[in-house]
Amino acid sequence: MAAEKAVDKKIKIALAGNPNCGKTSLFNALTGTHQRVGNYPGITVEKKEGRYRDGELEVEVIDLPGTYSLSSYSPEERIARRELLRDDIDVVVVVADSTNLERNLYLLVQVMELGANPVLALNMSDEAHGGGQRLDVDLMSMLLGFPIVETVGHKGGGAKLLREAIRRAHAAPTHGERFSFGPQLERTVMRLAEKLAPQLPQPSPPPRWLAVKLLERDDELSQWLREKVSDNAAVFAEVEKEIEELEKFSRTDIILFIADNRYSFISGLLREARISEMRADSRATSDFVDSILCNRIVGLPIFFAAMYVLFWLTFTVGEWPMRWIESFFGYLGEAIGGLWPVGSESPLRSLLVDGVLAGVGGVLVFLPNIILLFFGLALMEDSGYMSRAAFLVDRFMHRFGLHGKSFVPMLTGFGCTVPGIMATRTLENERDRLTTMLVLPLMSCGARLPIYMLLIPAFFASRWQAPMLFLIYMTGIMLAVLLARLLRSTLLAGEDAPFVMELPPYRLPTLRAVAIKMGQRSWSYVRKAGTIILAISILMWVATSFPRAPERSIEREPVLAHEDDVSRDLSYSLAGRMGKLLEPLTTMMGSDYRIATAMLGAFAAKEVFVAQLGIVFSLGEADENSTTLRETLRRHYTPLQAFAMMLFLLVATPCMATVAIMRKESGSWKWALLQFFGLTTIGWLLSVAVYQIGRLVIG
Amino acid sequence: MGHHTNDGPITESLEDYLETIYELIRDKQVARVKDIAKIRGVRMASVSPAMHRLRDLGLIVYNQREFIQLTPKGEQVARKVIAHHEILRRFLRDFLHVDKKIAERDACQIEHHISDQTIDRLVRFFEFMDTCPLGNQVQEMFKNCSEVNPELPACQEECARYDAQTRLEHEQESSLLSELEPGEKGKILHIKALGALRQRLIDMGLLPQTLVEVERVAPSGDPIWLKVRGFNISLRKQEANGILVERQATA
Repeated sequence: MAAEKAVDKKIKIALAGNPNCGKTSLFNALTGTHQRVGNYPGITVEKKEGRYRDGELEVEVIDLPGTYSLSSYSPEERIARRELLRDDIDVVVVVADSTNLERNLYLLVQVMELGANPVLALNMSDEAHGGGQRLDVDLMSMLLGFPIVETVGHKGGGAKLLREAIRRAHAAPTHGERFSFGPQLERTVMRLAEKLAPQLPQPSPPPRWLAVKLLERDDELSQWLREKVSDNAAVFAEVEKEIEELEKFSRTDIILFIADNRYSFISGLLREARISEMRADSRATSDFVDSILCNRIVGLPIFFAAMYVLFWLTFTVGEWPMRWIESFFGYLGEAIGGLWPVGSESPLRSLLVDGVLAGVGGVLVFLPNIILLFFGLALMEDSGYMSRAAFLVDRFMHRFGLHGKSFVPMLTGFGCTVPGIMATRTLENERDRLTTMLVLPLMSCGARLPIYMLLIPAFFASRWQAPMLFLIYMTGIMLAVLLARLLRSTLLAGEDAPFVMELPPYRLPTLRAVAIKMGQRSWSYVRKAGTIILAISILMWVATSFPRAPERSIEREPVLAHEDDVSRDLSYSLAGRMGKLLEPLTTMMGSDYRIATAMLGAFAAKEVFVAQLGIVFSLGEADENSTTLRETLRRHYTPLQAFAMMLFLLVATPCMATVAIMRKESGSWKWALLQFFGLTTIGWLLSVAVYQIGRLVIG
Repeated sequence: MGHHTNDGPITESLEDYLETIYELIRDKQVARVKDIAKIRGVRMASVSPAMHRLRDLGLIVYNQREFIQLTPKGEQVARKVIAHHEILRRFLRDFLHVDKKIAERDACQIEHHISDQTIDRLVRFFEFMDTCPLGNQVQEMFKNCSEVNPELPACQEECARYDAQTRLEHEQESSLLSELEPGEKGKILHIKALGALRQRLIDMGLLPQTLVEVERVAPSGDPIWLKVRGFNISLRKQEANGILVERQATA
């Protein structure tokens, strides 16, 4: 227990609850804006912490991942229970959806088994009351022995009472003493716990809980026991004997028997404390909406229409503020550039304007899109439609080793990979989520469009232009599908995580909850722009600017009669040299060092490729509509080479923002680097294959 | 256990009088001394003192020649006695198959002495026998074998035969959850799935004996949408293959 000073007490509490029980909104209600969002190290599970003050109490709140149970089958469950076992957690607030008590109290029972000090928050109590359920909360609290409060998380209702209850539970802790299994199981558990207790090292989980988990043949704890207890063989033999006895007695298997015992306790409790049950028709409205939105015939068309609206909102409405930001950075660039005399070659000026502002601005310019997209996604999630969408498209996605919930992030990837990767947070399962994130860059993002817009009209007759664009996009999709399948049978192999997914009743999302969710994700994007992307931008700038070409250099490219300084600088720079170094590799796919140099630029952001091409071909400022650039390119390359180029840019080198967000969301550099080098290798192999085979065919 | 009021215990006979008054008011709206005497098979002269006693205990409102009324406290005591009577009678007749008359008489005797806890446990026992799917069968078997009627076959044999038969029936009747059409209901018999899926299903309350209803299927026929214990979940057909159910008649 954390008790340092008498005046100022710091305590730690954890929030546990099922997914969809309104835990997050209760967390928001408790902590307000004092929140930190991050990842548990090395994995994709989100870690949320916050704090609030209650008189002299300084309360730190940990929002545990939503779980149905405390078994060890999913990373969320393992994390939740690991956190609950920490001995510095003073109070555990179990948040239960009052409209669905039987299942929600199942977690409470497990928290009691664990010997934690619980408080029960009967959340969504307004909905339960509306549905006709009446509970004798005082009686329930008396029976369980700890404080229970009714709350309405999304309206902040009951937050004050909850704080008060937490205070009471902290002052007079309980440890689940009032919970017991049925007599048969209880006796066995007690017997095992007594035998275990003297053999356990310190610190160790409570013996009673350990006994239950060993009876359940819990993997993680069996492993722990094997490592920590010397005489573990005897313990396991004992456990197996007890399991056999219990199974013989119950005529069922042990997992079911234990679950049944827990459910019996819950139904006994509710029989006493529940005055009236929910009416059978209390969810009629939600069911009616489902009969339309999830209809076998119109369900999918409605879903696609909703997606269309979402992306229209994101990319069309987002267009306006995007321009403001662009012109703001343009103005800022000029203003800063103006601090130096005209024509100044100051490296600092160049660093600030061409490096920092161009890099960070290029990322921040997407902020309006990001905010709008996350707004839409938060609406979908909080209303309950996201799980319906997953239900509708799961068959299609599952065929490729993905999950129904992968669909929206993948679709988002056509706009921009970064928010797509962030949107994978709706996927609960780690393997599903990693697979989706890893193949996401293959969804051809908006920044790649300028490249296609430049190259396709330059090399293909107008009637082939649309099919060409289609071909590129389809190639990306097909590759994503193949790669997902490959990943699921190699690196991320394993049994499919259970799809078993709850479809909570539709709820009206509150502005507050949506705003917080949107804000946190957008801020996380901005922070990336300010840190890792800033750093990479500076590196890229250094690579393209240094070392500087001497005043007079040897003309390396006699073909280019009027090579100007900029182009010479670039080819002399680190990036240019690297481009030349990489030339043997690009030659195999039909390109030369100039393309290689421009491709290095594409790492900063895909569309930079176009501008870089303009520079290496000494045409100054260039964009995707530049006809001179197109003509120059046509002189230098064949359509086959151009196609190989596009293919490479589609597949290889996800941009720096993608690498950065991948590092953040996957929790480790491992996946970010694997993605970067994996996709680059595949992209190169593919382009080389297409170019070499194409050359043979065309002759 | 007699009921205690401020003025001492209520005797068995007073409780019986209260019961009669309650029943008269319930059935005929009025309770008169004449009717009470008739039902209890005593003379009217012996009813009056009992009425006075009940009035003194604050259980009835009684003025000579007028109708008798129960005070709230009187009604409470009467109801309790009647409830006890009903529970006991049901237990004796429906579960133990005691003869009708004997059951009635024994119930009248025991009702005054039985403790609250025993009555409570009896009620729970009824509930259990009602809700447990095996409850009815156990009752049926008990009635139809030698324990109640020596001419019928021995109970042990009956039980063994039944056990074998139900197993057979289950195997025949069971279907995979994935085979149920939208709108069909089933009762879970067995969870075949293993590992994480099994744990997840159990954690979400899909245990044997749970009722499930297939609400709809996705446009491509997979996944399926279930209603269980008042909430909705979806699972893939492949996962639904791991659950054996018994089809239930749909309304």
